[in-house]
Amino acid sequence: MSEETPRIGVYVCDCGINIGAVVDVPAVVSFASGLPAVAVAREYKYVCSEPGQEMIRKDIKESGINRVVVASCTPRMHEPTFQNAVAEAGLNPYCLQMTNIREHASWISQDDKAATEKAKRLVRAAVARVALHEPLESRTEKVTPAAMVVGGGIAGIQAALTTADGGYKVYLVEREPTIGGHMAQLDKTFPTLDCST
Amino acid sequence: MMDAGRHPNIELLTYSEVEEVSGYIGKFQVKVRKKARHVNAELCTECGLCQEKCPQKTIPSEFDQGMGKRSAIYVPFPQAIPRVPVIDTERCTYFLTQKCRVCEKLCPAGAIDFEQEDETLELEVGAVIVATGFAQFRAEELPQYNRSLSPDIIDGLQFERLSSTTGPTEGEILTSEGVPPKRVAIIHCVGARDEHSNVYCSRVCCMYALKHAHLVRDKTDAEVYEFYMDIRASGKGYEEFYTRVQEEDVYFVRGRAAEVTVLEDGQLMVLAEDTILGKPVSAKVDMVVLGSAMVPQGDSGQVASTFGIGRSEDGFFLEAHPKLRPVETNTDGVFLAGACQSPRDVPDTVAHADAAAGRCLSLLSRGEVTISPTVAVVDERLCSACRVCIDLCPYTAISFISQDGSGTARINEALCKGCGTCVAACPAAAIKARHFTDGQIYAEIVGLLHGSEHEVAEVTG
Repeated sequence: MSEETPRIGVYVCDCGINIGAVVDVPAVVSFASGLPAVAVAREYKYVCSEPGQEMIRKDIKESGINRVVVASCTPRMHEPTFQNAVAEAGLNPYCLQMTNIREHASWISQDDKAATEKAKRLVRAAVARVALHEPLESRTEKVTPAAMVVGGGIAGIQAALTTADGGYKVYLVEREPTIGGHMAQLDKTFPTLDCST
Repeated sequence: MMDAGRHPNIELLTYSEVEEVSGYIGKFQVKVRKKARHVNAELCTECGLCQEKCPQKTIPSEFDQGMGKRSAIYVPFPQAIPRVPVIDTERCTYFLTQKCRVCEKLCPAGAIDFEQEDETLELEVGAVIVATGFAQFRAEELPQYNRSLSPDIIDGLQFERLSSTTGPTEGEILTSEGVPPKRVAIIHCVGARDEHSNVYCSRVCCMYALKHAHLVRDKTDAEVYEFYMDIRASGKGYEEFYTRVQEEDVYFVRGRAAEVTVLEDGQLMVLAEDTILGKPVSAKVDMVVLGSAMVPQGDSGQVASTFGIGRSEDGFFLEAHPKLRPVETNTDGVFLAGACQSPRDVPDTVAHADAAAGRCLSLLSRGEVTISPTVAVVDERLCSACRVCIDLCPYTAISFISQDGSGTARINEALCKGCGTCVAACPAAAIKARHFTDGQIYAEIVGLLHGSEHEVAEVTG
C-alpha cells in the first residue's frame, strides 16, 4: 500500500462549540482541501459520533480514501475510536493521524484568528505526516493461564479467591509466615461489627 | 482466610518473597524465594508442642503489636494459615548459641530441620496482582504525643489487639496496670491531614476511632473523649454508625489534640482547643488511643521497582488512571489491589481487589494479548554491535545476539514500548521506530512551520 498514491480525507470536528466557537472550522476545511494529496475535506459537529464515523467509512469505501486525518480533540481519548472506524471500512488503523485542535488551539486561546491559524498549521502537519504512514500489523501472543497475587492480606486473599474461582491457577505469595495481614489483627470491623477472621 | 488456604486453584507461598520479575504481559517469569521455616511442612502435624515447650517465651509478639509475647518457634496467631510454625533464627537459642534443640527432641513428627535452606522457585504467570498493603503511621514521629513516655499511649492497631479475644488481655480493655480505664481519649488524624506528616486524609481512621469508642463503652464503664477535626463517615451505614456512637454517651471534642503529657502520678493529660467553644480544653485520662494513619509500606519503593510500577507523591502505588483505570498500572499485566494504592477500609479494599481480579480474569480468559506494532526495530546489517542501546533501554527490551565473534542488538517486541530512546542513541542509525520514522516526524515539522519565520527546508529520508 505504501506504493499507492495517497488519497487523504481530512475531517475537522466542531466538537459542538468547544472548537467551533473559536476556530473558524469552514476556513480550516477550505484550507485543507487545497493541501497536496487531499481528496476530500469535511466539517462535522461531532466526528466521534456514529454518523461522524460513518462519514469517514463511506469516503474510504466509496471515494477510495486511503489516508485519514481527524482534526479534533486529544488522541488519548479517541484515537482507538477512529482506528477502529477506519479498520471497519477496510483501511489499516495506522493509516490514521489525529491532530489536536481543541486542547492545542481552541481551548488555549481567546484570539479566534490565531487559533484558526494554528489549527491550519496542525492540519497541514498531519496531512504531510499521514502521506508517509505505512500500514502496520499487530501481533498476538499467548497468555499463560495463571496469576500471581503478591501480598496475603484482605486485598490479596480476595483477589486470589476471585481469580481462582474463575478457574485459573493462582500463586498467593506472602512474606510473613501466615496469610491474613493487618486484617487478622483487627477485632471487629465497622460499621457492622463483624469479626475479621 | 480459610477459603484461600483450601482453594484447589490457590497455591499458598507463605514466608516467601518475590525477588525478581521479568517478561511481559501474558508471560511473566517470577523468582520467588521461599524462606526456610526450619520446620518441614510436610511432616509437621501442627500439634503446637514445639511452641509450648520452647524455652524462649518472652519475645514481643509482632502480631500483638509488641503487647503480647511469643516463643522463638511460633505460629503468629491461633487461626494462622498455614499453622506450620517458623523458627525465628535471630532469637532461637540454638541459632544463637548452638545449644538447646528442645523442639527437635520433643517434636513427635520429627519435623524440625535446623539445616533447612531458602529455596528459589521460578514461576511463569500471565498476570500479577500487587496487594502489598500498608503500614501504620509511627506516632513516635510526632513528638507532641509523647508516645514513648507511657505504655498507656497506644495506637490504633494496639487497641485492636487489646480488644481482640485472641489478644494479650483476651479481649479485656485494660491499662498497663491491668485495670479497666476510667477515662479514655481517642485522638483522630495522627499522621494525616497534617503538613508535618502526611497531608492526605487516611479515610479509615474516623470510622475505626468511632468503633474504638463503641468498644470501650461496650466493654468498660469508662468515659470516652474523641478529639476530632471533622468526622468523615462517608460510606454505606457509616453515618448511622456515627449517630449510634454519639448516642452511647461519647464526648466529642472538635479540635485537633495539641499535646499529650504524662503527669507525675502516671496519668495522662490531653490538651486541645475546642474550636466550637473557642477555648482551650484539657482531659485527664488513663489511656490515649492515637488514631494513626495508613502510610505506604516501608519498602514500597523497592517493590515498585521490582514490578515496574510508579508511585504517587504520597508514596502509594500509582494507578494508570484515577477514574478510568483504577486497578491497572503503567506496566501492562500488573494490577493493584487494596491499600497499597491508597488508604482504604475493608469494604473498599474488597471491592478494589475484586476489580483487580476482574481485570486479571479478562486478560487470562482472553487467552492472548495484542502486541502493538509501534515498536523499534534493528536493521541488523547496519548494527555495529556497540551495545549502547542495551543499557539505555528503560524496558530491558534489547538483548545482544552473538554471531561468529560479532553480533547484533535485537529488540523483544513484546517488551518494547516504542519510546524511541534507542533510536535516538544508536550511533549507526540502525534502529528505526515504526510509526515514528525520521521521515514522518520531519514531514510533520515541515508542515507545521511552513511559511513561518522558523520555516525549515524539506528533509528526505
